[in-house]
Amino acid sequence: MAISRGLARRTVPEAADIISTVEFNHTGELLATGDKGGRVVIFQREPESKNAPHSQGEYDVYSTFQSHEPEFDYLKSLEIEEKINKIKWLPQQNAAHSLLSTNDKTIKLWKITERDKRPEGYNLKDEEGKLKDLSTVTSLQVPVLKPMDLMVEVSPRRVFANGHTYHINSISVNSDCETYMSADDLRINLWHLAITDRSFNIVDIKPANMEDLTEVITASEFHPHHCNLFVYSSSKGSLRLCDMRAAALCDKHSKLFEEPEDPSNRSFFSEIISSVSDVKFSHSGRYMLTRDYLTVKVWDLNMEARPIETYQVHDYLRSKLCSLYENDCIFDKFECAWNGSDSVIMTGAYNNFFRMFDRNTKRDVTLEASRESSKPRAVLKPRRVCVGGKRRRDDISVDSLDFTKKILHTAWHPAENIIAIAATNNLYIFQDKVNSEMH
Amino acid sequence: MEFKLEAHRIVSISLGKIYNSRVQRGGIKLHKNLLVSLVLRSARQVYLSDPCPGLYLAGPAGSPAAPPQQPGEPAAGPPAGWGEPPPPAACAAWPETEPQPERPADPAPPRVGAAEPAAPVTGAGDALRAGEVEEEEEMETGNVANLISIFGSSFSGLLRKSPGGGREEAEGEESGPEAAEPGQICCDKPVLRDINPWSTAIVAF
Repeated sequence: MAISRGLARRTVPEAADIISTVEFNHTGELLATGDKGGRVVIFQREPESKNAPHSQGEYDVYSTFQSHEPEFDYLKSLEIEEKINKIKWLPQQNAAHSLLSTNDKTIKLWKITERDKRPEGYNLKDEEGKLKDLSTVTSLQVPVLKPMDLMVEVSPRRVFANGHTYHINSISVNSDCETYMSADDLRINLWHLAITDRSFNIVDIKPANMEDLTEVITASEFHPHHCNLFVYSSSKGSLRLCDMRAAALCDKHSKLFEEPEDPSNRSFFSEIISSVSDVKFSHSGRYMLTRDYLTVKVWDLNMEARPIETYQVHDYLRSKLCSLYENDCIFDKFECAWNGSDSVIMTGAYNNFFRMFDRNTKRDVTLEASRESSKPRAVLKPRRVCVGGKRRRDDISVDSLDFTKKILHTAWHPAENIIAIAATNNLYIFQDKVNSEMH
Repeated sequence: MEFKLEAHRIVSISLGKIYNSRVQRGGIKLHKNLLVSLVLRSARQVYLSDPCPGLYLAGPAGSPAAPPQQPGEPAAGPPAGWGEPPPPAACAAWPETEPQPERPADPAPPRVGAAEPAAPVTGAGDALRAGEVEEEEEMETGNVANLISIFGSSFSGLLRKSPGGGREEAEGEESGPEAAEPGQICCDKPVLRDINPWSTAIVAF
């Protein structure tokens, strides 16, 4: 289905190298990854050239920098992890690129600039920068800009700190390009990109008595076109669409999207598996995509009663929930993604598998991101998990799935059929060369 | 009966998770702990109610006899003393909790060890770890059953120790568990140690 090229980050896996977020920028030219060690690595797509048709459109490392460091909260005697939870790109407004990166407590705005020229021919300094002997200066020259090797410079422009008591799980830039929001377990704050010493609290679901706590915020996102609308998901499986024009504090939702629970599926773990781990608006702004432990669902903004589409990601795990609870896998937070035309949705699973669902043809495919199965230029082979009954030759049985190999973070190029898959500490980028435009 | 065993096992596992969350890097994760407490509550409800075959028969809901072991994390292991009569040291409340209806935080008669003060809450540290090892061995049916009777049907039930009286303040009452009144529901050291880290977890928020 797709031609692949694998990009490994390290051969020996270290905990700090585990990729924790992946995000394309708005043109798809740049791809940012964050890891558990607080680093951000940005990849840039090489421009296609006729001279080297084989390397057209491949991603190479553009810049690496340390975004967050481990911190210690002395008041609570707690260590604050440097792991990058989310990266969001700002729309590009000039030659520089900007992105927001966040760990559990602090959001930072980074500016990425290129320098490919330097001035030469100063009157008072020589080439090494030493002051010239003035007696040797006989004429006046105008310094000229000469080309130099490309240097990518990254600098922190803003630090948005002390806005959150609980762990930040998402950030989202508003379509107005001036504000953004950050959400933790119980609150959502609205920031102005230029102002770091204050933020507005727009959602607060903390109960007066913490003992009465029944749900937390799990993800949130601004609407792609309407700057007053945003959605947030909860651990109970519901979505709330809020309108900032209605009130300063958006505790009262405009719309509540909730599907009644299927009583035949009730178990000890019903509440855990209904918790929404990710929510994404479609590019059109008409739909929302949510991921819970076993399914992905498409919701129509005009229908609150139930999702319009539900896709089973790995329903064969439903009978194994107790073991998955024991080994903590049931708490894994998988993300989901739309393709550029909102016709295909993608999400990760275990054993380094990821799944794609075509909303029009209703066909789905399971693919694997691993070194063995993706040599450069190879075509990915669809995989299958067999759940008893007839077993085909290359099928994997449920019991031999590797639950330590999980694909939590995936991203889809905004326009083309290029996907980025984070498999623990490796990043895989797959391109569909057959149809390079979206269908 | 099957479901009771399963529920019991799930309660043990859940308590272990709550313990471990205290020493995790990055602080206590509210979301995960909330989900664990919900599972704890569900398991408790099943444990206390009469076994109802129809209720939790959602497909192969996991036969407690041989749940499939997943690679990676070592399993909690079958609780010690499974099927054996509870040792004399354990709370004799087990036979008493069975007929109890589902009321939150019903008081059990005071134990012999009522005079013994609870282990101090200050910091996880070695004391807790040593306690934990002890815990794993002592986490028998009797103790867990007691815990189940103590934990109410809500998040707050995990904090509540006095049966009818006022709720424990969530914030800043770190000395609360230590100053437990005599005649508390269960004063077995392991049980109180279970409560302490949880209330400390709440205090942390």
